[in-house]
Amino acid sequence: MKSILQIENISVRYPRAVESAIESITFELQPKTITALIGPNGSGKSTLIKAILGLIPYQGKISMYGKPIEKSYRDIGYVPQRFSFDTTFPITVEEFISLTNTHKDISPDRIQEVLEQVHMLSKKNAALSQLSGGQLQRVLLARALVRKPKLLILDEPEAGVDVGGEQTFYNLLEKMVEEHAMTVLIATHELDIVYRFAENVICINRVLVCSGPPKKTLNQQMFTTLYGHELQFYGHHHDNDERIT
Amino acid sequence: MEILLLPFMQRALLGGIIVAGLLAYLGIFTMLRRSSFFGDSIAHSSLTGVALGILLGIPPILSAILYAVAVSFLIPILRKKSQLPIDSLLGIILPFSMAVGVILLSITPGYQPELISFLFGSILGISWSNIYLMTAIACVLLIFIIQFQQKLLNISFDPEYAKILGIKVHTVDTMYHLSLAVAIVLGIQLVGIILVNALLIIPAATARLFATSLKSMFILAPMISIVTTLIGLYISYFLNVPSGPTIAVVSGVVFAGSVIWKNL
Repeated sequence: MKSILQIENISVRYPRAVESAIESITFELQPKTITALIGPNGSGKSTLIKAILGLIPYQGKISMYGKPIEKSYRDIGYVPQRFSFDTTFPITVEEFISLTNTHKDISPDRIQEVLEQVHMLSKKNAALSQLSGGQLQRVLLARALVRKPKLLILDEPEAGVDVGGEQTFYNLLEKMVEEHAMTVLIATHELDIVYRFAENVICINRVLVCSGPPKKTLNQQMFTTLYGHELQFYGHHHDNDERIT
Repeated sequence: MEILLLPFMQRALLGGIIVAGLLAYLGIFTMLRRSSFFGDSIAHSSLTGVALGILLGIPPILSAILYAVAVSFLIPILRKKSQLPIDSLLGIILPFSMAVGVILLSITPGYQPELISFLFGSILGISWSNIYLMTAIACVLLIFIIQFQQKLLNISFDPEYAKILGIKVHTVDTMYHLSLAVAIVLGIQLVGIILVNALLIIPAATARLFATSLKSMFILAPMISIVTTLIGLYISYFLNVPSGPTIAVVSGVVFAGSVIWKNL
């Protein structure tokens, strides 16, 4: 099957940095698969995602269906790790989602539909400042989904969200992915999410450490390589699968 | 009401409505981008443009616009080359440009009345030809910005996401800075270099206290700005005090009153 996203030999070095933030990373994403990107803090997960999105300069080649990523933005949805914008500014949920309608090709009905899908339709006239962290994250998910992307990229969407909000978010995400058959790349530090959702996992720690199906790829040796000796591998049974806690 | 029959007051009111509305509208983007200091720097820098105009015998408003636009283009280039934080860079440009302006004016005989009027505004002395010019420029700017409003909002909220939406961030940003520079120079005639930031920031800040949506923000900020400007002009006429500072004081008092009202 032809891959949707091709990442070839990607390196990023920030200005004045002594060493590269990520070095020679290569992988591909197959269509309609969910891939988890894991690694310790500072391993370069967010850097890799920003490079994939063309938000920072990089060396190497990134393409979507063989085209440069900048020509494929219409097919990409992105949920950032945290809000880089001022959420206290007076703007309603509906107005915020409508901002994405830069090509005037998203109908008001589509906006209502996507807000309903993320269970935020009742809050469409609420100001962003009135929302909880979990609700804001669902609004960001709606913003990413409103253009019906083929590729959805999420950068630690659980950051700053409480456990309840996190569960709701991932339940919604799981439903969306099933319904719309999107390709998903999700950076996360929640290993439970990796086992629950991902068909593939990519582990990085500046360089590519491992890639493959989670059950085959993730083991004690891999976790020691990735996280050092602090993280222990505990095999326990959950849905008949071995899990990491 | 007899003040409305006075030609200089008619000009002042008309100029005030146009410039106050325009600056408040642009102030929403300035506030959203948290770049209030940018407006201040452009305003102070334009003193050099004013001085060059007086020295070379060309209309100061035109030379100030050209100089402010040049500075607004220069700031992103300097930021990229120096890699300094924007507030540090503006902190360098602001005193440097203002100092150059003062030196240039000091070597021009009889500069004092011009300097004071540019520092604190002279809307009561504005001519009809200036009003026509201001109206034309303000209309062009408004049409221009409204065309790019959605893209500009995206960039102001979330520049990274704006790029993913396919918006040419650098181009739209440049257009915004250019429009802001021109609007600020128009505002200088109303309240002067020192106080123009009051018209850019205070109405948007006051509107923000009451607005519950973007739509209400775009209605409230220009409305508050126009009303406070008209009240300021009215008070300055009856108390025989300078109009620019009076408008700034009224704006400040309305903001302070709004904060108290909201916290009652």
